[in-house]
Amino acid sequence: MVRMNSRELLWMGVMLLGLGACRKDVAMPDPIPMPEPIPVPNGTLRLKLVPEWEGQPLALYTEYRNYVDQRVNVELLKMYWGEVRLFNEPYEWALRDVVYFNLGNGPVSVDLVADSGMYSGFRARLGVPASLNAANPASYAASHPLSVNNGTYWTWATGYRFLMIEGRYDLDPQSTAPLIASYALHPGMEPCYLPMEFVPSEGIRIIAGTTTEVIVKVAVDRFFHSPTGNIDLATENAAHGNNLPLAIKLSENAVQSMSVE
Amino acid sequence: MGEDVRVTEVDTPFLLDLPPGAPPMVLPADAPMTEASVRLGKALFFDPQLSRDGTIACASCHFPDRAFSDTVPVSKGIEGRLGMRNSPPLLNLAWHPAFFRDGGVPTLEQQAIAPIHDTQEMDFNIHFAAERVRDEEPYARLSRLAYGRPLDAFLLTRALATYQRTLVSGWSRYDRFLQGDMDALSEAEQRGLALFNGPDLKCGTCHGGFDLSDHRYHNIGLYTLSPDPGRERISLVVSDHGKFKTPTLRNIALTAPYMHDGTFATLEEVMDHFASGGQAAPNKSPLVAGFTISPEQRLDLIAFLHALTDERPLDQVH
Repeated sequence: MVRMNSRELLWMGVMLLGLGACRKDVAMPDPIPMPEPIPVPNGTLRLKLVPEWEGQPLALYTEYRNYVDQRVNVELLKMYWGEVRLFNEPYEWALRDVVYFNLGNGPVSVDLVADSGMYSGFRARLGVPASLNAANPASYAASHPLSVNNGTYWTWATGYRFLMIEGRYDLDPQSTAPLIASYALHPGMEPCYLPMEFVPSEGIRIIAGTTTEVIVKVAVDRFFHSPTGNIDLATENAAHGNNLPLAIKLSENAVQSMSVE
Repeated sequence: MGEDVRVTEVDTPFLLDLPPGAPPMVLPADAPMTEASVRLGKALFFDPQLSRDGTIACASCHFPDRAFSDTVPVSKGIEGRLGMRNSPPLLNLAWHPAFFRDGGVPTLEQQAIAPIHDTQEMDFNIHFAAERVRDEEPYARLSRLAYGRPLDAFLLTRALATYQRTLVSGWSRYDRFLQGDMDALSEAEQRGLALFNGPDLKCGTCHGGFDLSDHRYHNIGLYTLSPDPGRERISLVVSDHGKFKTPTLRNIALTAPYMHDGTFATLEEVMDHFASGGQAAPNKSPLVAGFTISPEQRLDLIAFLHALTDERPLDQVH
């Protein structure tokens, strides 16, 4: 066995380099190919929004009592979520730019393709991202979340109503008359684009080829009252781009009303 | 045997006649101004099928002989529903940076969506509207010629916007006067012009330029507290409350009633408002400070405003 000391090894290297430099006709070996990225198998995250009123399934046109015992119903409930992302701190995985929920007929689900893995939770914002909010809705097919067919585009201004809740109310708790007075609360525009974060107690496991369902309960009764701001239907029954403080308050309440287990 | 001759229709650029002094017109890349696209837009503009019940067309509230404005303070939509604001004239829109009286929409294409969807106006849907007329003539033929495909919601907004861009004003006696025809304005009208641009009235400060509008937003003291938020609805800035886009004064004699809510029936009432200085709105423009003019000067000023009427139709599609 021949052993070389470090000086001999150095000389050997220099000579080999020199020979290599002179032998331009020698074919260079093919570069070692980079390993192909290992595809992460996809699973599906199903977000199921379940609208409720005081813990019971919400039914449109049904008379409820609000936090001050006024009679109230809900006749329309729609919302957008923007920038839906799974996360494991400090990383996020973008799933969808915008998702549309029409909660008028009960629970609604949306399926989002996601890399398999274990996640702490997911984030989103209530509304439509600014870049999409400024787009021309005529560009979207009728089936697109941002289609004007959904009745969510302002039309008189550029952008969408991020959340729409409409219904009727009666301030007199003793009355038995039909609900006549109407409310229409439509937060939209940039200041209403609020962040939301959902962290299920056991995290979210996405398994390739399967669907993981996460149920988001939407406590609609809490749209009208929260530790940070109650909505008095006597005076706060319309936000249609002209009452920003009310629009923000409702958006904050709506964000706080949504939860996962 | 007769030879089978097939003629393929080819679309051609629309030769828009621009008046002297008009700025260059910049067109969106996805809304070419061609014979077919303009004619398609015009056909749509006058077609009540774009409304839910087929009773209201764009032209129902924008009359060509009124510089494409309406004759009532607030127009009525389907089933007699009252709109929100006075229908503005439609002219020189190609140079507007934003649309509606509060500037809420940045393009004519997006503007086209609003009246079709507004429940107080046409109460319909651009997808349904396009679908309703898509297979009819001249829509099927013009859409294929202009855009190479059947009419859809996207093309509907393009065509309507393109037609409206052809509604150009700039052929009034005032314009001829500016171009050197000193006989184009009477002596009274010339005195009115001098007042208009003079240091006492300064009308031209806001009503200047080719379109006789700065296209900015001002509160002119119409109300102490405007019931309509105006520009504030868009900007969400409280100091914009009650501000509205300066309207063009071109064809002003044809576009009564005046102001965003049509509150003034005549030019004389408008004049009296500005002479009085208006109401004490907290954000009223300092330019609306009131002025004193003689009855003769008032007549001169109004005579000048009448000289802003085009001497030819705005519509160039014949």
